[in-house]
Amino acid sequence: MLNISLLSVGCTIFNLLLLFFVAKKFLFGRVDAILVKRMEEVDQATSEADEAERQALSTKKEYEDKIASIDVEKENILADIKKQGYEEYERIIGDAKKKGEQIITEARHNAEVENERAKEVYAAQLTDMVIDAASKIAATKHSSEDDKKLYDKFIIEAGVNNE
Amino acid sequence: MKELLNELLKEDKAFIHIPYGNGLFDIYKSVVITWIVIGILFLLILFLTRDFKVHNISKRQAAVESFVMWIRGVTGGMLGDEGVRYQDYMAVVLIFIAASNMVGLFGVTPPTMDLTVTAGLSLMSIILVEGAGLRKKGLGKWFKGFAEPMPVIAPMNILELAIRPLSLCMRLFGNILGATVIMELIKHVVPIIFPALLSVYFDIFDGAIQAYVFVFLTSLYIKEAVE
Repeated sequence: MLNISLLSVGCTIFNLLLLFFVAKKFLFGRVDAILVKRMEEVDQATSEADEAERQALSTKKEYEDKIASIDVEKENILADIKKQGYEEYERIIGDAKKKGEQIITEARHNAEVENERAKEVYAAQLTDMVIDAASKIAATKHSSEDDKKLYDKFIIEAGVNNE
Repeated sequence: MKELLNELLKEDKAFIHIPYGNGLFDIYKSVVITWIVIGILFLLILFLTRDFKVHNISKRQAAVESFVMWIRGVTGGMLGDEGVRYQDYMAVVLIFIAASNMVGLFGVTPPTMDLTVTAGLSLMSIILVEGAGLRKKGLGKWFKGFAEPMPVIAPMNILELAIRPLSLCMRLFGNILGATVIMELIKHVVPIIFPALLSVYFDIFDGAIQAYVFVFLTSLYIKEAVE
């Protein structure tokens, strides 16, 4: 029961080593190959994801910059338009004021001219009346009573004429 | 009953008798059974690891992968960080001894019941242990290692070179032999049902435990050697 065969021991060792190499090559080797491949894929996917994230961030920054510059541009345009609007407004108001002043001046001038003319007409009438009165006085012999009547008559006539 | 034990323990172990060296070079039956066990394991491995894929793996592949991970975890955990490179060998030894112990389920005498097989296994173990120590420490340090923790211990340490494989060999042999003898006795006393229940314990549970103990002790020695 306890006897030992050296060849059998050697065979056992050989068997064990053979099993080990087969297991190493097929069982562990194949599983390891798959695991390594999977690890590589995961690494690749991770690095790709990192790259994509980086790109997305840079694109986002680009767009943010663009949006910021658009705001500035908008402000500029608005400011320009406002300025133009003010200028136009000022110009129109200025023009209107000028025109108004001109009209007023003209009107004043016209009024003066009219006034002058009326005065002249009045003066001419007065001259006519004076001449008329003077001629009447000269034509009639006059007493103080006649004079008084004459004055009254003249005044009435003048009043009638003046109305 | 005596005849039964005689038959079991004193049977002629030789499968091929070589007429030289007074039976020292016989090929024993146990070796032939390990050939069969190894052949079955080969076929199993080749069948199970066929067309592995990276994606859309089959259930078979998932099972094999998780089994490999698990058994590597078991042996790697016992070996520690320094000895983790030997985890595949220890896993193979674990599978081989467990499979050998369990052939009793099919009515075959377990090859580990023969001292020759356990001697071969423990010889490999001590070669691996000392090889790992040599590889890690170098020749000088390895020799100095015998005089640690103090030179007085040196003879003990040298004796350990023989004691360790002997204890490994005898432990496995004795346990499996004992289990088989008890099973034979029980079969003799109660021929039905009861042996089947106990066979679950002796052939599966005890077989797995003995395989684990063998691998655990070898791993412990390797861990100690490479520290």
